[in-house]
Amino acid sequence: MSESSKSKSSLNLNPSPTLQCKDLHEYLKSRSAQFLETLYNYPTICLAVYRELPELARHFVIRLLFVEQPVPQAVVTSWVSQTYAKEQAKSCEALSELSVWQEAPIPGGMPGWMLAQSFKKNLKVALLGGGRPWSMSSSLEPDGKARDVAFLDAYALERWECVLHYMVGSAQTEGISADAVRILLHAGLMTRDAEDGSAVITRAGFQFLLLSTAKQVWLFLQHYLHTAEKRSLSAAECLAFLYQLSFSTLGKDYSTEGMSNNMLVFLQHLREFGLVYQRKRKAGRFYPTRLALNITCVKESGPSVAPLETSPHHQGYIVVETNYRVYAYTQSNLQVALLGLFTELVYRFPNLVVGVLTRESVRQALRGGITAEQIIHYLEQHSHSQMLKSETGGIKSTSMLPPTVVDQIRLWESERNRFTYTEGVVYNQFLSQADFVVLRDYARQQGVLTWQNERSRTMVVRRAGHDDVRKFWKRYSKSS
Amino acid sequence: MVNVMKGVLVECDPAMKQFLLHLDETLALGRKFILQDLDDTHLFISPDIVETLQARVDDLMDQLSIPVHDKGL
Amino acid sequence: MAPPKKYKKYDNKSGNDRSGKKKKVEEEVTIDLVEDDNVDNVGVPVAAMQDAEKNDQVPEDEFGAKDYRSQMALKADNASRPLWVAPNGHIFLEAFSPVYKHAHDFLIAIAEPVCRPQHIHEYKLTAYSLYAAVSVGLQTSDIIEYLQRLSKCAVPAGIIEFIQLCTLSYGKVKLVLKHNRYLVESKHVEVLQKLLKDPVIQQCRLRRDGDDELLTSALPNKPLATTSKPGEEKPAANGTVPDDISQFYQQLDKDDEEDENTDIAVNTAVAFEVDPDKIEVIQKRCIELEHPLLAEYDFRNDAINPDINIDLKPTAILRPYQEKSLRKMFGNGRARSGVIVLPCGAGKSLVGVTAVCTVRKRALVLCNSGVSVEQWKQQFKCWSTADDSMICSTLKSFIIQTTLETEDKHNNLCQKNSEFKNTKMKFKNKKKSYFTEMKRCRNSYYYINKIMNKCGLVIEKVHISRMYTRLASLVTIGLTATLLREDDKIADLNFLIGPKLYEANWLELQANGFIARVQCAEVWCPMTPEFYREYLIQKINKKMLLYVMNPSKFRACQFLIRYHEKRGDKTIVFSDNVFALRHYAVKMKKPYIYGPTSQSERIQILQNFKFNHKVNTIFVSKVADTSFDLPEANVLIQISSHGGSRRQEAQRLGRILRAKKGALAEEYNAFFYTLVSQDTLEMAYSRKRQRFLVNQGYSYKVITELKGMDQEPDLFYGTREEQGMLLQQVLAASETECEEEREAGGVPGGGGVWRRGGALSSLAGADDALYLEHRRNNQQNKHPLFKKFRY
Repeated sequence: MSESSKSKSSLNLNPSPTLQCKDLHEYLKSRSAQFLETLYNYPTICLAVYRELPELARHFVIRLLFVEQPVPQAVVTSWVSQTYAKEQAKSCEALSELSVWQEAPIPGGMPGWMLAQSFKKNLKVALLGGGRPWSMSSSLEPDGKARDVAFLDAYALERWECVLHYMVGSAQTEGISADAVRILLHAGLMTRDAEDGSAVITRAGFQFLLLSTAKQVWLFLQHYLHTAEKRSLSAAECLAFLYQLSFSTLGKDYSTEGMSNNMLVFLQHLREFGLVYQRKRKAGRFYPTRLALNITCVKESGPSVAPLETSPHHQGYIVVETNYRVYAYTQSNLQVALLGLFTELVYRFPNLVVGVLTRESVRQALRGGITAEQIIHYLEQHSHSQMLKSETGGIKSTSMLPPTVVDQIRLWESERNRFTYTEGVVYNQFLSQADFVVLRDYARQQGVLTWQNERSRTMVVRRAGHDDVRKFWKRYSKSS
Repeated sequence: MVNVMKGVLVECDPAMKQFLLHLDETLALGRKFILQDLDDTHLFISPDIVETLQARVDDLMDQLSIPVHDKGL
Repeated sequence: MAPPKKYKKYDNKSGNDRSGKKKKVEEEVTIDLVEDDNVDNVGVPVAAMQDAEKNDQVPEDEFGAKDYRSQMALKADNASRPLWVAPNGHIFLEAFSPVYKHAHDFLIAIAEPVCRPQHIHEYKLTAYSLYAAVSVGLQTSDIIEYLQRLSKCAVPAGIIEFIQLCTLSYGKVKLVLKHNRYLVESKHVEVLQKLLKDPVIQQCRLRRDGDDELLTSALPNKPLATTSKPGEEKPAANGTVPDDISQFYQQLDKDDEEDENTDIAVNTAVAFEVDPDKIEVIQKRCIELEHPLLAEYDFRNDAINPDINIDLKPTAILRPYQEKSLRKMFGNGRARSGVIVLPCGAGKSLVGVTAVCTVRKRALVLCNSGVSVEQWKQQFKCWSTADDSMICSTLKSFIIQTTLETEDKHNNLCQKNSEFKNTKMKFKNKKKSYFTEMKRCRNSYYYINKIMNKCGLVIEKVHISRMYTRLASLVTIGLTATLLREDDKIADLNFLIGPKLYEANWLELQANGFIARVQCAEVWCPMTPEFYREYLIQKINKKMLLYVMNPSKFRACQFLIRYHEKRGDKTIVFSDNVFALRHYAVKMKKPYIYGPTSQSERIQILQNFKFNHKVNTIFVSKVADTSFDLPEANVLIQISSHGGSRRQEAQRLGRILRAKKGALAEEYNAFFYTLVSQDTLEMAYSRKRQRFLVNQGYSYKVITELKGMDQEPDLFYGTREEQGMLLQQVLAASETECEEEREAGGVPGGGGVWRRGGALSSLAGADDALYLEHRRNNQQNKHPLFKKFRY
């Protein structure tokens, strides 16, 4: 009898929400229209946005690309059969959200659609050529000390792990720049300690560490862009450059010629985080790494370039046993700290950590906003090569982890969700069935009804909807 | 006339609902807190009890969960 | 910018909460129905109470782990070595290491396995395990040296001390039965001299012809032919095994085989004779003096007890692990006392039969139930040339009357243990007479003591074993599936029966097809609201009945039975609770066996289960925990069990462990379901029960929803009306009906509460007769007035 369960909003019993990593679409959606306007001055961005659009939306864009006047919305609707109305609505919404098109009135008063000017212009450039030559396109003499992919991977990982190591306070690696620290603080991944002012990791920071490297990098860069203005950099320009990087080829070197001063500064920052490799600051050439190539594929759906973690030099180190024991072959504080997020650690040996997954340790993590999926994913991603030989016991499983352990972690999570609480207001003791039906239907229409029963003439309305429903009731009882 | 009450709607499985009824009847949380018994899976309760209640439910779950692993460590 | 000075917990407050929580959880671990009697540690040497764990004072790292990094220097070639030895005596072994085999054989001899799942095994060094190690012939220096070589890190100094402390005095003195004389024997003259200075020991000494000199005693000079094939375990020449490890392994292996076999001078020991009547005294005293006596029987030099003509049949083929366990037992040409641990279904009885055939002297097998006695008899006939004329089984009661008259026969003694308090007094009296009988026939028997693993048998087990110490003037071997007791007093047995000689790895046996591959599952059955409501307000006994009788559980059980009957499987359903047992079985029209079921009816039901294609499911109470061998059964459903008993869980699993045909072809050929009512105490019990098996590498799949159960037609208790009626029945059940079945042994004709009444009467017609018998038995405890009216 519960009304639409999806509109249920749990009471805030969980103080640490799960860290969200927006993909490009969501990121752009959250930006202002002016920002998007500026962004669409860069053909690379237009192309990237275009690629990420839903299929139907891409179709609309191409059909409208060379139309110089508004097209009636009804016409656009007629392009798609009624069966796919839902997909169409979604596509239209996406185009509006990203300001790819705008509503434009058509003489005669009909509503119409028209592609944003700058988007139209620069997408044409991206697709057909023309305009200013792209940076990175200048030709280069062959590099005497060319770097191969394996080298770039190792370099990228080492640089990026500096950031992660810094976050867990490990003394194993060199530090990171003050600028990078500011980004971490700005992102809420670290915070200033109240006593001595040193940077310490936050709950969100721990969740951050459990994300895949590609997501970490993209999230980090989002916050970099937020603070770009403080560095006198244009966020739009930086983003455009990032997207340009993502279209480049792994293992190829590119010239810095023609890059603005701002972008040269930006390049140095990217170098610090391992997105590009440069032998020397003034080398005149740079190599994009896998980290840079992967920022466009933070979406769950198939990455185009293999993620860094699977590269061969980065070996799995975690053994998970059917008795919930966890053994990690590691000496890295970072890895131990991560494991300690959801594992009860028992022994530290010189090259091994012994721990056990307990209900309490996992619940601790869940309370901190880490999800069961994140834990499972992390264990899986870093499974020791011996785990490949695991006997899953006949249960066909895509996972290398013991199925019972995976199940149990999920059960511990669902155990926390046995109750849902919704703040609300109960209405009862209606004098007539008719009154009840009227009020119930009104509340349902407003999408605030959470529970109702006709026989007992009782209904529950979401707290936020109460005022509205009450006013309606007053009007209604006066009039009747 | 209509009667209006503010509170919290709880949704849970039937067994857990019985648990809440039991807590209510035995005054285990110090007082009654169920405002209205709606159906097998829904209750309407006082808003200020939620935290205490959740702690009590956690206690129940703790009691029923023994570490799978021997702590003979 | 430099990294922050120190790592900080992101939330100090919650960190504290967490440790507080931990403590609480640990307290709750003690939930158990089994009483934990505080048996004092009399009879255990002081050194054995050493615990490496307690000497362990180590800083915790920032994550709350014990930080041993500073105490364990990593060796450069650590990758090729398989062990970590922690300063608290815990040892971790990589099961995937090329050196695994060497290390495993060694560790099982010196340490107790803690858990052995697939990749990394954990062992623990204990005083007992080291005692066991020396008693099979390992030397202190060998243990330390080999541990050092296998370890990835330097072995902590504390551990070396611990090993020395526990091994130096142990294993030096033996109590040997030779030519029908008891000798305290040692290779170390000074030790014997030290012992002889003790006034108590002096009194025990038996002097013939007033001779005060120590006797010289030749040690056996031939390893036993039957059991060992030297060199069979030679490690494969594998490049990745460091030389020092493989060489040392071969050397140890050789030592084990040919124990002290080279030089006449070395091969002689000194001894003094002991008065047979004072065996117990001297054993006890030696323990107090830190020199526990290892019991050995030099059966080759026993000319007084006649050899019997018994041999293994050619069809009896020993599996590698059976051979290995026997080799440990007969390693030096004598028979040692000790315990051999093999999972149920792995062929413990063949080990026992082979041991008897090796010694070729009269033997006594102690079992704890009539069915078990029968089965041992069958085993003897199956594997050896013994026939009915050689085997005498005593079934009537546990007082042995036949032993002396039938000295030329094997005697299977059936012993009945009643573990409940109300019968304890009687039991004690009986024990006394039993004991006197046993004393009389001492010297003539070679005992096989089958330790039955019965849950709840806490006190008795220790008592029995203590009794045996006094009797075990020859050699005792214990065969058991688990050295597991809820009170952890099992350690005492090491000094009572003897050290653990061998313990098999369940997963390995399973992988090799020696035991069935079992899928274990825990099925969660939600409590219906009405049952849960009552559950919340009722007393503990009723609570138990409510969660066992939960309609969802009944339906799940019915569904599973149907599912497996369709597959052509044979299913046993276990219920400790008699009310539930009868209700489930009667409602589903299945045969059932419990305490009061007569022997003839039991056999009839079991025969039907075995051969009749229409009888594919039977219900049994805990009488079937240990004593029934049902090789056909491949599905086990547990609807009620004895609290958190890990041992019962392992025993029950054992009912379906016997290797099935085509064992390697299928991924799983046996299924073990435990049905638990959600949100009740049963959940906690169930988890606790699983621990032992989980540590053996078994994994339980949690099933929260049985697929297809909703669509299944005609399951009982689907409507609220039916459920309501069931609830009324449950609430009306009397206190006694709520309880678990008390009688566990199930010996036909033997003592026990129900037995006395009507066991010998021929009872026809299942249910009524059972009720009748039950009622009549109850009367014995009733007020005399009521009794009058009934008769």
